[in-house]
Amino acid sequence: MNPNNPFDAANDDDALQALAGEYVLGTLSAARRREVESRMASDRALRDAVDAWEQRLHPLTALAEPVEPSPSLWQRIEASVRPSAASVSANTRRAVSGVQGWWNNLNLWRGLAGSGFAAAAVMAAVLVLRVQAPAVPQYMVVLVAPQDKAPGWVVQTGGRQQEQLSLIPLGTVAVPSDKSLQFWTKADAWRGPVSLGLVTPGQPLRVPLDKLPPLEANQLFELTLEPANGSPLDRPTGPIQFIGRAVKVL
Amino acid sequence: MPAPDDFDYEAALVACAGGEQAALARIYARESRYLLGVALRIVRQRQVAEDVLHDAFVAIWQRAGTFDAARGAGRGWIYSVVRNAALSWVRNNARDVPVDEETATALEDGMAVDHHATTRDAAETRVELGRLDGCLDQLEPGRRECIVLAYVDGCSHGEIAERTKTPLGTVKAWIQRGMRALRECMT
Repeated sequence: MNPNNPFDAANDDDALQALAGEYVLGTLSAARRREVESRMASDRALRDAVDAWEQRLHPLTALAEPVEPSPSLWQRIEASVRPSAASVSANTRRAVSGVQGWWNNLNLWRGLAGSGFAAAAVMAAVLVLRVQAPAVPQYMVVLVAPQDKAPGWVVQTGGRQQEQLSLIPLGTVAVPSDKSLQFWTKADAWRGPVSLGLVTPGQPLRVPLDKLPPLEANQLFELTLEPANGSPLDRPTGPIQFIGRAVKVL
Repeated sequence: MPAPDDFDYEAALVACAGGEQAALARIYARESRYLLGVALRIVRQRQVAEDVLHDAFVAIWQRAGTFDAARGAGRGWIYSVVRNAALSWVRNNARDVPVDEETATALEDGMAVDHHATTRDAAETRVELGRLDGCLDQLEPGRRECIVLAYVDGCSHGEIAERTKTPLGTVKAWIQRGMRALRECMT
């Protein structure tokens, strides 16, 4: 089958069906998915093919076992669809007027906490671009709670402390007495995460960087709940408490 | 899948488009556990799956007005919004965060193919799968496995090749032929 052959309508239809089918199946790359989605707006035949594939394969969703959502999920959704939710980000942006003490700005963090993960990431990027302190950090990470996106920690590197990374608490968090918080990082190409040590809630942690490869953009940082002396393995064993990715500061 | 009754998905979506939040709550009350199951199989991390479901419900609320009953059933539309949100996430993010224990157990319990093989005999699932089940049965097992791994577990071609220890080119060809056979079988 040759999708480039304009003389053969049957082949064209096959190609269209194959594209629509793999879109619904989920095997296309992110870029191809976006391509199909934008083409669907104007391509009736493609849209019809996608609709038909969705209906054909829909029964397979019954193979996924049901999982009860956390009780707080509906509250989050409800907060996001409330009529005033749309104005939160605008208010938030207005609140970020000065560089001084931006991370003490409660409105800002409330805004972040109320929006989705992507929005939080975008906001973090926007913030980072606005911070023009004299000692400019090279990378910054905002670590947020996976559940409600509440920011809990900030990671900073570079500036005058080129050789170390600072994990700065934005508040205190409760950790059960028989547990500990462990700090991890993993760059995209690494095979597994690396422990950066145990963290005391509410206390900053400085980690020397000489034993790690240089930080890179998008590098993952997370805090997980582990046994009192840390994970017994070379990787996290407990649930993620805070998570974020490194954003390069321009 | 919730027990069949006369829940009117189309009417609920129309009400959402009209700004009636209670309609969204009704959809959530009825479908959230099934939708979270679908999302979790694809993204494989509990927290991410909940984020995906959050974003999908916000999208359902915002885009309910674009739902067109002539193009398909309301329930299918809702599931597509959730699957698309989950698939965008996995295709945009390498799966590099170790899965947490709870999720790992759930995933072990539910490797798509095993699950398909063991539950296919359950009369209930058989009824839900309907004609698709008969058509899947007619596929060669390798092709069927690829299609289920892609749709239910959100696996890319590469991941399917790895899991089934099959060359990438073969996986792509099996999926293409399997999908063509499914379409012919179901029309």
